[in-house]
Amino acid sequence: MQLSLLKEQQLLEGIANNDRKITEQVYRDNYKQVQAWVQGRGGSADDGDDVFQEAMTILFQKAQNEEFRLTCKIGTYLVAVSKFIWYKKLEQQNRRPDFMPFDSGEEDAGTQHAYEDDIKVQEEREVHFDQLTLAMEELGEPCRSLLRAFYNENKSMQDIAGMFGYTNPDNAKTQKYKCLTRLKKLFYTAQVNK
Amino acid sequence: MSLENNIWKLAEGYLTQTLSTDETKSLEQRLASDKTFANEFQEASNMLRSLNKNGEQKRFQQTLGSINQKIKTETENAPRKISLRTHYLRTAAVAAGVALIATLGTNLWHNRSQEQTSKYAELRKVRTEIEGIKQSQNRIIKDLNTKANKPAIENKYSGTGFALSNDGYIVTNYHVTEGADSLYIQTRDGSYYKASTVSFDANADIAILKVESKKFRFSKQGTVPYSFATGKSGLGERIFTLGYPQDEVVYSEGYISSKNGYMGDSMQYRLELPAEPGQSGAPVIDASGAVVGIVTGKESKSISTTYAVSSKTMLRLLRNIPQASNITLPKSSKLGKMSRSQQIEKIQDFTCVVNVYK
Repeated sequence: MQLSLLKEQQLLEGIANNDRKITEQVYRDNYKQVQAWVQGRGGSADDGDDVFQEAMTILFQKAQNEEFRLTCKIGTYLVAVSKFIWYKKLEQQNRRPDFMPFDSGEEDAGTQHAYEDDIKVQEEREVHFDQLTLAMEELGEPCRSLLRAFYNENKSMQDIAGMFGYTNPDNAKTQKYKCLTRLKKLFYTAQVNK
Repeated sequence: MSLENNIWKLAEGYLTQTLSTDETKSLEQRLASDKTFANEFQEASNMLRSLNKNGEQKRFQQTLGSINQKIKTETENAPRKISLRTHYLRTAAVAAGVALIATLGTNLWHNRSQEQTSKYAELRKVRTEIEGIKQSQNRIIKDLNTKANKPAIENKYSGTGFALSNDGYIVTNYHVTEGADSLYIQTRDGSYYKASTVSFDANADIAILKVESKKFRFSKQGTVPYSFATGKSGLGERIFTLGYPQDEVVYSEGYISSKNGYMGDSMQYRLELPAEPGQSGAPVIDASGAVVGIVTGKESKSISTTYAVSSKTMLRLLRNIPQASNITLPKSSKLGKMSRSQQIEKIQDFTCVVNVYK
């Protein structure tokens, strides 16, 4: 018992750190169940993949918090969240689902709300990220590529200086700060206009 | 400008905890005393946090995408088989020992293949008599209604059929139904329904059946998802089929290898498509979800040379039968934009086993 809990916690940490091997293991252990479930409810295998990946992303975000502990197995969490996501998608497409996501009967009302909250938080996060990405798109070059290389592709300032032809990392850094100032302006103006 | 840059430098250092103790101290003092600066600083560090989080999530999603891609390549290289639901398994009990399929009995085959019988042994298989198989527990039927409909076991052959309309008009091969005392179709959920022949064309090897129950529907929600191609499809067109060579539905895919069929028969296509006994009568469907033909036979010496009656020929027969006005054919395919597995999922509801008792 202690051992399996420990293992689950290690898996969570692996996911939080984007550890390819551990993420792949968790993926393989669980995706089929979600795929089959979605396919049995009006979706395709690809829909199943999408839903499962959204659930994995939610788990990834939750696991960023070191305090985070799952009260159930990782697999149980992923499947339950996936069910809620698919249910929501069908509702949004005005295809009235003829099932309830909690038809497994395992979860009580409290945990159901917890799943719904997790999905909602992630949705808000995605909206925020989308706005940020949009502002980055509007930046123009070289700022767009520079910020992308640093924040999305995790490149070092040393690499970036080389890529963009700056004589040293400090010059690249100065350019990065200038870009950030412009990005901030774009981002917050967009927010005000909303 | 340098003041702006300074804010970013401070915010970055603060978030990554790389500021010295002195720097942290003076930052905290300034935050406490200078409202405007505190506000700016707050915005800057929020922005950095968002950028970091967004980047982390993007990289994680890239990992997910590459895992998904890896799994997909693995499964695409493995053979595909789609299981029917479990209660379909009882067919295995009913049909224990029976290898499925119809006879080589049509005039067409006899007349045409007299000299070349060995070359062209259509989808033909052993007839086995089933006698006195006791009712097994596996054969518990879904409800009393379907139980009452259960056919008595006698000599049995089977092929595949598929829906012309949701209310139970079905097309299959004539050679599947030939000489039948009674016909029962078995739908995806395992239920049996009695059917009768509405019309047939022995030369074209097509039979039209109708489920006798007026209440019968293939699917609760809606209409037949595929359409029927009115013209002949081109050489090389990719096609696939779903049939019942065994107690579970089997998917296979291939292409049109000739616009004319066996011995130049213009009512048929020649296909490169693996087919097995029991797949007689199965729909041959193109990528857009239009039925282009009906599997009818195969060359015995070749693994995958298969023949199919063209949908055009089938439509011609349909137009000339008295019941034509009762059969509402689907006007357009709903499968065009779907992935293959989605298409299969939809089509499966509208295919059935045609069980023939003689």
